[in-house]
Amino acid sequence: MQVRRLCHNKDNIGWGVELLRAGKQYGPLVAAVVGLLCLFRLWVPTLLAPDNLLDLAQQISVNAIIAFGMTLVILIGGIDLSVGALVALVGTTTVFVFTRAPEGAAWVLPAGLAAGLGVAALFGGFNGFFAAKTKMPPFIITLATMLVARGAALGFNEGRPMAIDESHGVFLALGNGRLFGWLPVPVVVMLVLFAIPAVVLHFTRFGRHLYGIGGNSEAARLSGIPLARATVIVYVVCSLLAGVAGMIHTSQLYSAEPASGVGFELNAIAAVVVGGTSFSGGIGAMPGTLIGAVIIGILDKGLNQAGVHFSLQYVVKGGVILGAVFLDVIRRRK
Amino acid sequence: MKVLCGMIICCVVAACVVIGCTPAEKPPAEAQTKGRSFGVVFQTMNNPFFVDLNNGMKDVIEAHGDTLITLDSQFNSLKQKNDISDLLLKGVAAVFINPVNWEGIKGSLIQARDKGVPCIVVDAPVKDAELVLCQVASDNVEAGRLAARALAQVRRPANIVILHRSVNKACIDRVAGFTEEIAKYPDMKILDTQEGQGTAEGARPLMRDLLGRFPEINAVFPINDPSALGAVSALESAGKLADVTIVTVDGSAEAVAAIKAGKLHSTSAQFPYEMGKVAAEKAYEHLEGKPVEKDVKIRVELIAAENADAYMQQKKS
Repeated sequence: MQVRRLCHNKDNIGWGVELLRAGKQYGPLVAAVVGLLCLFRLWVPTLLAPDNLLDLAQQISVNAIIAFGMTLVILIGGIDLSVGALVALVGTTTVFVFTRAPEGAAWVLPAGLAAGLGVAALFGGFNGFFAAKTKMPPFIITLATMLVARGAALGFNEGRPMAIDESHGVFLALGNGRLFGWLPVPVVVMLVLFAIPAVVLHFTRFGRHLYGIGGNSEAARLSGIPLARATVIVYVVCSLLAGVAGMIHTSQLYSAEPASGVGFELNAIAAVVVGGTSFSGGIGAMPGTLIGAVIIGILDKGLNQAGVHFSLQYVVKGGVILGAVFLDVIRRRK
Repeated sequence: MKVLCGMIICCVVAACVVIGCTPAEKPPAEAQTKGRSFGVVFQTMNNPFFVDLNNGMKDVIEAHGDTLITLDSQFNSLKQKNDISDLLLKGVAAVFINPVNWEGIKGSLIQARDKGVPCIVVDAPVKDAELVLCQVASDNVEAGRLAARALAQVRRPANIVILHRSVNKACIDRVAGFTEEIAKYPDMKILDTQEGQGTAEGARPLMRDLLGRFPEINAVFPINDPSALGAVSALESAGKLADVTIVTVDGSAEAVAAIKAGKLHSTSAQFPYEMGKVAAEKAYEHLEGKPVEKDVKIRVELIAAENADAYMQQKKS
């Protein structure tokens, strides 16, 4: 797989072949989405109402944005457990800047965003540097940075939520606004942040390098791929995406919550693997992850609206994740 | 490849058939008063208090021939927001909310207002009270006062630590009532207030740390029963349980059992089943067009060794 990806050249593969391959890759996932929607439609008559579907898109946005970054990291054979804690840290940092700035200053919003994303980039750079330059497993590195980020977040306001003042209208619109009066802003952000890495991954040399690193990092290094640089970039991008997700989350809650984001990394990993990205790296792509996040979102919404007991919901979700990955493994072996 | 394509086409066709055949369940006019659904979203179900609260609501709602959907937010504000919007878009008649974050719930309250669905807040209040129909909660300040008075009777002088959960307004109120009462006794002092998350898992390690830092501790105020049980377990393993008096709030069966075993001194009992019933009744009163008071307080009662048995019998019936 990774070899074919590395030599993959658009010029001698026609669009038809591309389309067929995409169909083969995403067909089962799309079928799963349609199947789940139909299944839940039996219990929930309002499931396919436009309102409800838009709400679904909005609900998955935070998880999907984190999962896009996680896809890149898993693609190069890594993992990033720190994203959930970063969601909390970026939110608290941004709101902290808001609360300390003088009333009505125009630079408050850019300063808050820059501080939040700066912290995210710092953590991403740290994760990436150690993942690239040491033999420490990324699982352990990011486990440690997860704890550091969580502790830093809880350090704000003694761990209590910090409310966002109504005067920060633009920031509050990031999570709660609607474009043209109907399209939730988080959905727009999600689609943009989907398109950029998807295009980079599929159409650029850097994208093909990532597949190479994930397939066989030693071979990639020997063939001249700048391994360390690519690794750092991937972890930084992952952290930045988690940071954006954290801002949307904070905006949606009208407050920064130092204790929020617990377990978000696991939800994102679930979306990535359901979307067909191989946990050992080298195989996978962005559209799969987006569909994976949609599948998990449909499960959450469908089970909630069908009135399934909350204890059973976890069992069903676990079963679907296991089943999806199992089918994917079987399909690849053929 | 062909097989795969075939499968997908089959799925899509089957889907269309299913969607086409399912009758669009337009509720007939008289269904407005029967077979409605209600939703409740709890910050956690990992606490027997919320199970009792849920049962109180459920009994009233099912007696009206309606159904209640219960969801568990697992202390996750984002999940709570999503859970509430799922219920609102499903078209529930009213939604009961037990907020994780008393400020962060605002977006959901605005969404409910825009949809015209009444919100009834149970147990823990919300900051934006003007957005909700009514708030039904224990008198938490009084619960804190009762705990402080009980402690003052048995432990003087006292060196107290508080195991807080400060994102929750109910806990903030309890601690406020407790500290207000303790301030009346010059020989009782509060050494420290720390975050015990309101769970046994959170309180246990915290209690151990506090014991290490303050060997002179002889009283603890954990803000609820689960954290009290966590503190008991930490004190037991340190062999200090006999020297420390614990007073708490909730009145769960587990805590009463611990009181009877002499491990806890007392708990300011709340009446969650009653709270659930009252909340559901308020929802029906509103739906019938009657005015509903904004702030409903449910009584609290101090349970110690002498009235533990009577309380448990009352709780069962």
